[in-house]
Formats: sequence, C-alpha cells, structure tokens
Amino acid sequence: MADLARTISPSITPEPLIEGPDDDLTLTDSVFAPVWKPTAKGWWFLFMICLGGTGMLFSAIGWTVYKGIGVWGNNIPVAWAFGIINFVWWIGIGHAGTLISAILLLFQQKWRTSINRFSEAMTLFAVICAALYPVVHTGRPWFAAYWLFPYPSTLGIWPQFRSPLTWDVFAVSTYFTTSLLFWYLGLLPDLAALRDRSTGKWSQRLYGIFSLGWRGAGRHWRDYMSAYTLLAGVATPLVVSVHTIVSFDFATAQLPGWHTTIFPPYFVAGAVFSGFAMVVTLIVPAREFLGLKNVITLRHLEAMNKVILATGWIVAYGYAVEIFNDWYSGSRYELGHLHEKMLGPFAPFFWMQMFCNVVVPQIFWKRSLRRSLLVMWIASIFVNIGMWLERFNIIVISLHRDFIPGSWAAYAPTIIDVSLFVGTICFFGMNFLLFLRFVPSVAANEVKELAHEMRHTHV
Amino acid sequence: MSKRAPTPPITGPGSEQWRTTEERDNPKAFENAVAAEFPPGAAELDGSSRREFMQLIGGSLALAGVTQLAGCKDPPQHVLPYNVKPTDVTPGRPLHYATALTYGGVANGVIVTAWEGRPTKIEGNPDHPVAKGKTPTVAQADILSLYDTDRAHEIKHRGAGVGWVTFCKTIRTHVETLKGDGGAKLAFLAEASGSPLLASMQKRLQTEFPKARWYGHSSFSMDEAYEGAKLAFGRPLETQLDLTKAKVVVTLDADILGGWPQWLAQQRQWAERRAPGVTMNRLYVAETQMTCTGMMADHRVRSRASDIARIARALHAAVAGGTGDAGDAKANAWVKALAKDLLGAGGEAVVIVGPRQPAAVHAMAHAINATVKSQAVSYTAPILPSYEPLTALAEELKGGRVDTLVVTAWNPSYSAPADLGLGKLLAKVPNAIYLGTHEDETAHDVAWFVPRAHELESWGDARSIDGTVTIQQPLITPLYHGICVPELWSALLGEGGVGGYQLLRSSYAHLDEIGFQIRLQKGLIEGSALAKESPTLQTASVTGAVDKLAAAPSGIEVNIVPDYKLLDGRYANNVWLQELPDPVTKLTWDNALLLSPATATKLGLARNDLAEVKLAGQAITASVLPSPGHADDSVTITLGYGRNLGTETNARGAGTDVAPLRTAGRWFAAGATITKAGKGEKLAITQEHWAQEGRPIALELNNRPSFKRLPIVEEGHKGHGETEHDEDLKTVHEQQGPVESMYQPHIYPGFKWAMAIDLNKCTGCNACVIACVAENNIPVVGKEQVRKSREMHWIRLDVYFSGDENDPSSVQPQPMMCVHCEKAPCEYVCPVNATVHSDEGLNEMIYNRCIGTRYCSNNCPYKVRRFNFLDYHPNVQNVARMGMNPDVTVRSRGVMEKCTYCVQRIERARIDARVAGREIADGEFTSACAQVCPSKAITFGSLHDKTSEVSRAQDDPRAYDVLHELGTRPRTVHLARVKNKNPEINNG
Repeated sequence: MADLARTISPSITPEPLIEGPDDDLTLTDSVFAPVWKPTAKGWWFLFMICLGGTGMLFSAIGWTVYKGIGVWGNNIPVAWAFGIINFVWWIGIGHAGTLISAILLLFQQKWRTSINRFSEAMTLFAVICAALYPVVHTGRPWFAAYWLFPYPSTLGIWPQFRSPLTWDVFAVSTYFTTSLLFWYLGLLPDLAALRDRSTGKWSQRLYGIFSLGWRGAGRHWRDYMSAYTLLAGVATPLVVSVHTIVSFDFATAQLPGWHTTIFPPYFVAGAVFSGFAMVVTLIVPAREFLGLKNVITLRHLEAMNKVILATGWIVAYGYAVEIFNDWYSGSRYELGHLHEKMLGPFAPFFWMQMFCNVVVPQIFWKRSLRRSLLVMWIASIFVNIGMWLERFNIIVISLHRDFIPGSWAAYAPTIIDVSLFVGTICFFGMNFLLFLRFVPSVAANEVKELAHEMRHTHV
Repeated sequence: MSKRAPTPPITGPGSEQWRTTEERDNPKAFENAVAAEFPPGAAELDGSSRREFMQLIGGSLALAGVTQLAGCKDPPQHVLPYNVKPTDVTPGRPLHYATALTYGGVANGVIVTAWEGRPTKIEGNPDHPVAKGKTPTVAQADILSLYDTDRAHEIKHRGAGVGWVTFCKTIRTHVETLKGDGGAKLAFLAEASGSPLLASMQKRLQTEFPKARWYGHSSFSMDEAYEGAKLAFGRPLETQLDLTKAKVVVTLDADILGGWPQWLAQQRQWAERRAPGVTMNRLYVAETQMTCTGMMADHRVRSRASDIARIARALHAAVAGGTGDAGDAKANAWVKALAKDLLGAGGEAVVIVGPRQPAAVHAMAHAINATVKSQAVSYTAPILPSYEPLTALAEELKGGRVDTLVVTAWNPSYSAPADLGLGKLLAKVPNAIYLGTHEDETAHDVAWFVPRAHELESWGDARSIDGTVTIQQPLITPLYHGICVPELWSALLGEGGVGGYQLLRSSYAHLDEIGFQIRLQKGLIEGSALAKESPTLQTASVTGAVDKLAAAPSGIEVNIVPDYKLLDGRYANNVWLQELPDPVTKLTWDNALLLSPATATKLGLARNDLAEVKLAGQAITASVLPSPGHADDSVTITLGYGRNLGTETNARGAGTDVAPLRTAGRWFAAGATITKAGKGEKLAITQEHWAQEGRPIALELNNRPSFKRLPIVEEGHKGHGETEHDEDLKTVHEQQGPVESMYQPHIYPGFKWAMAIDLNKCTGCNACVIACVAENNIPVVGKEQVRKSREMHWIRLDVYFSGDENDPSSVQPQPMMCVHCEKAPCEYVCPVNATVHSDEGLNEMIYNRCIGTRYCSNNCPYKVRRFNFLDYHPNVQNVARMGMNPDVTVRSRGVMEKCTYCVQRIERARIDARVAGREIADGEFTSACAQVCPSKAITFGSLHDKTSEVSRAQDDPRAYDVLHELGTRPRTVHLARVKNKNPEINNG
C-alpha cells in the first residue's frame, strides 16, 4: 500500500511532515511545552464553560433517572430520539481515532504520528459520551445497567442474543476497552519522559505511577512495539465492526427507512467521515494555541480533508442507494417513507443534511480551500452538524410516520434533551482540555522517531 | 382553590362523631388549624401540570391523614382474619352482583364484579332484555366515579357541616310547618325517572303535601319525543324500536350507534342486521356534526340541525307521493331515492328522529313509519313521568312563592339554560335542599347540601327503555356517607331512619322474601316490560303541526349536543372519560367548536384558534376544531365542559361552558356571529393523520349477494370469477392467506387465542377502549401527556376519512390493538427477553423484566405498544386504588405495556376448567373489549376449535390481516367493512 497522500494527489511533491528545527530536544520541548507552561487564562475560561456544561449534563441525567424518560420529548411512535441520535453520533466521531491509530499504523502512513494521540483521545472521550446514552435512555436504568450483560444469574436468565441491542453492548464495550488500552500504551514512553523531566514532587510521583516503570530499555521498546502493533491489529476490525453493529440496531428492524442492507458500510463510512471532521474541528484551534504548528502541519490537515472528501462520497453513495431502493422496492411503505423524508414535516432537516454532507465537502476538490484553516474548520463543523442530522432523520423521520397513518405523531425535543446533548459536548470538551493540559497531545516519541527517519530517508 | 385538603368524613347517618375534644367544642377552629397547617398552596401551582397538581393534592391528603392519626391516637384495635369464612366470600375470587345504572332516569341492567366487597368492573347484565350483556360507554367508567375522592361527604347547611340526625330533625320540623296549606310552598325539582319506587314515594309525598309542585329537569329530556307522539297519536307514547326488523334505517339527527346512552339496544339490533348480503340493512343519515352513526352511514347528508325539519318535511311529502324541498340538490336526490327505498322495503323500514328535534319532526316520523307500515316500530306508554317545566319553576321562584325546594335533578345551576338564572334564584330560596354527588355549582347556591350516594351504593329501581323494571342494589356501603333520592324523600315524610333497602322492599311488599331475592339476584323483574299499544295516527294533527313549522332562519347556527363522554357534565370529574378520545374528533380533555373546513375557511379560523360565538346577546369563547363531514354554516359544541366552580378538581380547565348560548333550553339556533379571538392552547388530540394514504389498512367493500374467499391472486393474473368491478375485493384478497417463509410454521398443539374485529359493525363508540381501561388498570396521563402523544389506551380507535374533506365519502373507524403476531417483530429485538411468545400464541409482556429500551415499540409496525414515560400511577394512598383489578399488575414507570388479550381472564377460565376437570369451552369467557362491544364487532376465542365463533369469523371472506405483506401473521384479523349503497344515489 502506497502513501495515501501520494495516491490521492501524486503530482504534488509532499511537504515535510515536520517543519522547522527537528532535533530531539526542540521537538520534545515543543511537544511537552503545553504541559509545562503555567495554565493559560484561555484554558481556564474554556474549562469553566465545559465544567458548567458537565454539571448541566449530570443534572439532566439525574432528573431523567428521577422522573423518567417522560422528561424527554420521546413519545409513541417516536420512542427513540435524542438519546439514540447522540449515541450514534458520538460513536461515529470516535471512529477517526481508531482509524488513524490502528489502520494507518498498519499501513505505515507516516503522517499519522503527529495526530494519532490527539485522535485517540478524542475517540476515548467520544465513546465515553456515547456510552452514557444507552443506559440513561432506558426506562429503568438501574436494571439496564446489569441486565444487559450476560452475568451468571442464579435465575438462569440471559440477555436475548438475537437483539442488536445486546450486540451493541459487546461491540461498544470491546471498542472502549481496546481504545483505552491502545491510547494508554502509546502514552507510556511520553509519560516516562514527563516523569523524568518533572520538577515538582507530585507530578513526578503521578507521572511515575502512570508510566508503569518505563525505563526506555531496548527490551521495553521491543515489547512495546510488538504490543502496539498487536493492539493495532485487534483494533482494526473494530473500526468496521462497531458501527456495523450499531447500524444493525436499525437494519435488522423492519421499519421503512431502517430496514436496508446498505446500512453497515454506509454507517462505517459515515463514522469515519464525521470522525475526521471532528479531528479537524478540534485540531485546527489546538495546534494554533498549543504551538504545535511545526509538528501538525498543513500537510496533515490536507490529508484529513482528502479523507473527508473521499468518505463524503461514500456517504453520498449510501444516500443515493437508500433513495433508489425506496423507489425500486415498489413498496408503498418504503415510498411513503421516501415521501415523508423529502417532503414531510421534517424535510428541511433532510435537505440540510444533504447540503452539509454532500455539497459542503466538495469544496475540498480545490487545493487552496483544502489548505485554508478557516474554510476547513467551518466545513468540518458543517459535516458534524450534517452527520447529527443524518441520525436524526434516520431515527425520527422513520419513526414518526411509519406503516399505519392512524398512529402517526409529531416529535419535539424538550429542554432536557437539549441539555443532555449540549452537556455531552461540554463533558467531551472538559475531558479534552484536561488531556491537553496534563498529557502531551502529540506523541513525542513517535515524532522523534519520525524525525530520525526523515533525516535518514527523506520521507 | 379555596378548598382545603379533604379530610375523612366526620359526620354521617346516625352519628355525631368527633375526633378530639377541640374539634367537638370548636369545630371551626379545628378546621382552620388543619387548613393552616397544610395550606392548599394553590397560588404556586399555576402553570404546573395537572399530574403534579394531583400528586400534590394526593400528598397533602396523605399528610393530613398522617398527622390526624398522630394528633389523636385511637385506642389499639385488633383485626382478625376470617376464622369462619362467610359462605359466599372466597378471598381472591370475585363475586358478581346484578344491579342497575341509570342515565336520564332510564335503567341499564349491569353486573358488577366485586372483590371482597370492592367493586372493580361493570359489565352488562346478560339476562337483561335491553342490555344483553352490553353497556353504554359511560357505564364502564362509572366505577371510577364511585371512588372519586372529590365527592361530597358532609351534609352542609350554608357551608357548615351538619349531622344526618340533625338534618332529619330540622327538615322534618320545618316541613311540618308547611303542611298547613297542603305544602303549597313546597316544590320538588327532580330528574324524570322511570323508577316505580320513586313513583310510589312521589305518590306518598303528594298525599301528605297535596299542593306541592313537581318540576322536572334533565339534559336528556324526552319531552319533544313525547310531544311528537302526542301530535301524531293524541297521547304521549314511548317509541320502541326493533332494528332487526328494518332493512332501511333512516336517522334524522339521531345518533343511534354510540350516542345518547338509551340507544344501546339499537346499536346491537342494527349490527345484527348488518351482515353483508341480501338481508343487509341500509343506513341513511341526516345530521349536523359527524357522529358514530354518520360514520357508519351508507348515505349521509349533512345539514344544519335546524334544517333537519326541512329534510323530514320533504321526506314526509315524498313518502306520501308528493315533493318537497330538502335543501340542496344532494339532499333532494337523497330524499327521492330514500322515499322509494322506504316504500319498497315491505315494512322493513323505519325513520328515527333524535330527541333534540322539535315535536313536529317526531310526528312526521310517526306518520312516515305508519305509511310504510314499519314493523320495526311499536309503542308503549312513556317510561318517564311528566313534570312541570323548569321555566314554570323559575317563575315561581321569581315570585318568591317557594319556601322549600327539594332538588334531586343533577346540578341545575350549571345545566339549566343560563337565561333562567336559576343559580341566583336558588340562592334566594330559604330552604333549598340539593342532593348532589359533589359540592358543585348548585351546592354553592342552596341552603342545604346533602351528599348523594353513587348508584353502586344505593338501593333503588328504574325501568329500562322497554319498561323492564331493573333493580338496583348497593355493592358497597356509601364511601362518603351519601344517601339516595328515596332516602331523602323519606326524610321529608319523617322516616329519616329508614334505609333504602326498607323503602325498596316495602314498595315490593307483594313479593315474598324468596321472590324478592330471586329478582334481586337477577337484577330485574321479568315480564315487567310495558304492554304494546296500537295507537291510531291522527293525520290532520300531524299535517297541522307540519304546516306550522317555520323555516329556519339562515345564517350560522349554533348546535349544542350532549358530549359522548361527559354527557351533560355529570361525568366531568371522571378522568377516564375526560381522557377518552371523542369517537370522531379524537379530542380529549376539552370540548371545541366543531365546524366544517369550508366554514372555517370562510370565517378565517383554523385549529387551535379561539373563537367568540355570539348568539342573541350572549357569548362564549371556545377553541376551534374543523371537523370533516360537519354541515356548513353550523358550529357544534358539546355540553358538559367549563366546570370550574365545583369541587370537581379534574373538571377544571377542561373546555368551555355552553350554557350561556342555551337560552330556553334549545339545542340549536341560527343567527350566530363568530369572530376569531386569538390563538388558543393546542388541543389534545390523539390522532394526527386522518387519511389512509392509499394503504390497505381499513378496507371497505361494496355489498354483493355473497362473498367468497378466493385463492390468492397471482401477480398479473386475475383470480377465478373476478371481474373488473371487483377491485375492492382484490385488495382484500391481497391481504389474506399465508405469506412465504423459509421456515416451517410453528405448531400450536393446544389453544390458539385469536380475535376478529368486524369493521362492518364497529361504530367507533369507544365502549371497548374504556372497558379495557377498567379491566387492565390502564393509567390516565393528563392533557399535557396526551398532547405529547403518550396516551396509554391499549386500544387505539383510529378513524380514516376519504373523499372530500367537507363531505367525506367514507369515514372508517378501526380499533387497533396488539394483534399478537405469530412472528412478532417486537420479540426478537428486546435485549432482555421481556416480550416473548406463549405456547398458545400470546405475545406476552413480562413487566418486571422490562428495562424500557422501547425497541419493541419501534419495531412494531402497528405501533400499539404503550410506554410508561412517567409514573402514571402516583404513589399516594388513594381510595381509587380500591377499584383496580387485583388480577392485573399495575405497571411502574419505565415499562412497556400493551394489549394482553386479557390474559388474566384466560388464566381464570383455565383454573375454573381445570378444577372442574374439563376443557375451556368457546364463549365461556371473553376479553373485556369483546364482552362490552354493543354491536358484537369483536370476537375472541381459540382457533384450535374450528367451530368457535372466532374461527368462523376468521374464515369469513372479508377477514384480512392488516399489513399482511410484512408476514407478521397477526392473530387479530379485521373484517373488511361493507357499504350497502343505494344504486340510485350516485354521490354520497
């Protein structure tokens, strides 16, 4: 497999992946600088906003558990709404991390090194946000929290293994565990470096505990490399499996708009699409404020925009197939669904989704736009919105008008629904800010390794 | 809210009780102390949901009870279990008692189920010649009214509590003083009732007070009908209908299929004659607002209520061979074809006029029925006695000529026409005594208020519509120390201590004890139906009345009708009925101004707007709800709402009171002006979409001599014997038969529970919905939750309109509940196995395993599952819990629920059969919905028995699976509706 960046635009001579002085000390200093620097005012400002939002999130969860799902806007027939939309959206966002870390590692894509730590953290936090929803959205979360797992109950009652929701439990928990291990394993050499360079007593001890006795010995490096590659191997199928299984929640149901075989690939592509968009959304400001421009270069960003463009087309193909199948099926219910989607009360959401996910990414055909920080940042936000709308449309439009017209009803979210959604964004942001503050957001060891390679092979 | 949290009753018959010495010595101060300690806190409740309000009220009630106990400890009392069990009580086994419920003074024979003394369910008395096991819709909800905590529990004299003994003594002493002039200053205001007991008591009162006057008031007055008979036959008569003998049925503003509770028997008879084929009846309907009857009509004309007389006149003329103008071209064509049909039916025809229409219209119907020699009509003496009208009473009261007025009619201050100003007049009567269930509008106006016992707490009797005397026996000691009408009247006779039983028993003194008990057990006196009379038609009198009929003035008409649910408002505090969707509009918790879409456009009104209706100087403001099929230039609004003054907390804030527009007791009047008055709150309507969108959901066929079940039509080929005209039949066939599957069908060796719903008989009357609520402890969720589409009714009664929105060609009600799919999409998606299939084909819900993912609902193509989004059974000590069915789990919040096919009834039948060592027989038991259905549209049973009623129904050529193509193999099938069109009428 050739260099992805080169495959996409072979005529362009690749720019260096690291700019400026590339000796080990400078690189380490620039990567570790955000950790050593005193906490910036801007960080505190953002952190306090996110902390407030997190408070709101847990208040909303508390209120939901105390009062019941009735505080949300859900009803019959729209029994799933914001809870599941947000779940799928966050899981999708999580995909970029695993893809960048694992698949690109296996494909030996060198450009991944500067952004893999960053995107892995994003994955982890996104999966945490996602995992909140399936339990909170149930009517009786105090039972759901453990009845969904196949624990050896003395009553001999097991979960229902035919239900995609049971598959979800396995898929998401496996994904979370693997992502956590992968991220943490990659952190080890850097945590050790932080420990060694720390001057404070407590930071030395804490970094010492978390670096698990890493000394940088040759054997450590050998075991580390093989474990890291192995985990990458384990994580790779998960990139495909998680969102495939999430898509089964819909595809195995018989609701028009859900019951379709295109969903697994289309969901995976959509997940990568939204995940990369989220990386761009986060990394553009982060590299600016953290002074990481020399290691996260425009070449990285451009490569990601190309991935967004490519996956955007897969998603667009998915939309086209979906629409075609609705028509080709000849089923009055599928056609009815198509009608509701394109012309029904929620039709503006569908057309907005089309604009965000199909039209907006096309700007990345032009190199100058692909390399414009402002353009890519705004475009990535559009994609994030578009992908959220996609899940809204799949879930709410399909449910609110299905087979029997007498059962149709409208849907409107409540303030609690919105609080939960905004709350998870803030919770995610808070985790991310803590990550940026206490852990090097770029893998220093890998960047240094890359710099060495570049010196010797002129990559 | 000025009312403090209700405390348990402190006074009652035969006792002057007190809880503490403080209370005895200074009852007012004690009451204030209680009120101060637990202030009602009404102010901060503004804007809160009804449910929260109820929870708070319930909570404060419980608190009040708790502290009362703490403040005054009774000496310890010991309860003991049954040592020697009473012979007729087995714990866990209910008993059934026959009794009667009355509507407008007419009895409905019912059987009430009671568990260790707690009544829980009302069903029709199968031995009763009118009920035949069925009840009207409202009767099903009466059980909730029994346990209503807002009911009055204290005799009050100008607001102060009085004991029963004091009341009896005071009243008797006072009445003695009236005897001097023969009771000339004594008057009674009663609701006309067909009760022989009340009639005999009235006679005794008349002997003692010969000059006392008797006035009548009821929203269900049959006066115009009696007056009409008087015109036609010279004397008031009761028209007895037998629709099984009618092939052509014409209703003029008569909602015989679900309205006016007395029409119960007509619904059954009509349905019996509704089987498709040559004997099928044909229903012609002329009406204003769309009704249950209108939905079932083969031919319907819509007309202002005041123009019904014109149609009747044209029909009257046409039957006699002449012509008349019925209004527009459609109505004229309708009348012409109808007259021919009526005359050609060979006596199997009948014209029915609703009680709201003027006497002359009734007289014309009698004349037409006589001309066509209708076999479906017979006449008896009137069931209801005639009293002097309310207007006469108002005159007397104005003149101050009444000193003591005994009011037993329901809430006249609210229900009487507003222009009489009866409330103010009542307040001036020195000794007005009102017997009422609640401290309602009237209770505030009268000097004496006496709590009335619920009919399930009372002894009494009444005649049912055919005259059969139906006995009323109490199921429970009055919960709130209420008394019944005979007991109040007997107090006036100085018999204050005599109970209802003695009064009833002594009026049947001619029966020996065994004889009385047999009748009590049966709930009726057999052979007591009134004798048929054969009166002679007085043609000249009819013609004279017809000629006197003035044409209705043009302009917009206000049309007032009794509500399907609250009737005249007496059920306003019944939350089951408040939340029951209207059969046609699906409106809950409100009444609204119904009008045709065309009229709405003309007036610039849309749904949820507020409109001011002005008529003869009076005005009301109500929400607007355009309703397809409504007559143009007319607005309909129902009685019974806008009850904000009484202690009925659930009635508050629901709808608009129409009394100001009901001058002189009229039901309809033209000449109203309607203007938009802003935007109102969103109405809580349970159905949002009214078109089938071309989907084969509720199917309709044209009648033909016979129906055959044809082999499944292959694509591109026509089935055997099909012609081009059989398109409708083809649609049915496409929804029948097996669907392809890769798997072997599952074998059910034993029972195969199943249901069939005949859309040809279902009138959408809602009886099944409310029966299901009563049987299965289904919670009430409140207006706000209904607005959010979270109503919990297991049966969803969908209504589909087709054709023009102003004059729909077809309106189809379709009950939709869990169809118990053999291949149920809900089952495989549940992650915790909370919904599974039984070996008898039931799709079962395991409530305590459910975690509430709601995935099952998403995957249910019928969307018949209901979710407890909140705690809909707030955890308060509530007397209403006594009315719950102990056989059915009360579901907690976060749990999914749906129709269970009344699995508790299946299991009870199984236990009984096993104990008796036999199999469950077909028809031995049935589901609550099938049990109540007045038209027998629902059949339930097992398919393993090929001869069972449900097997035969499922083999009907019209039987089809809704959403057949999905392969869910539903156990509940629907039978396509058949329209019996008159070929001579093209439109409508």
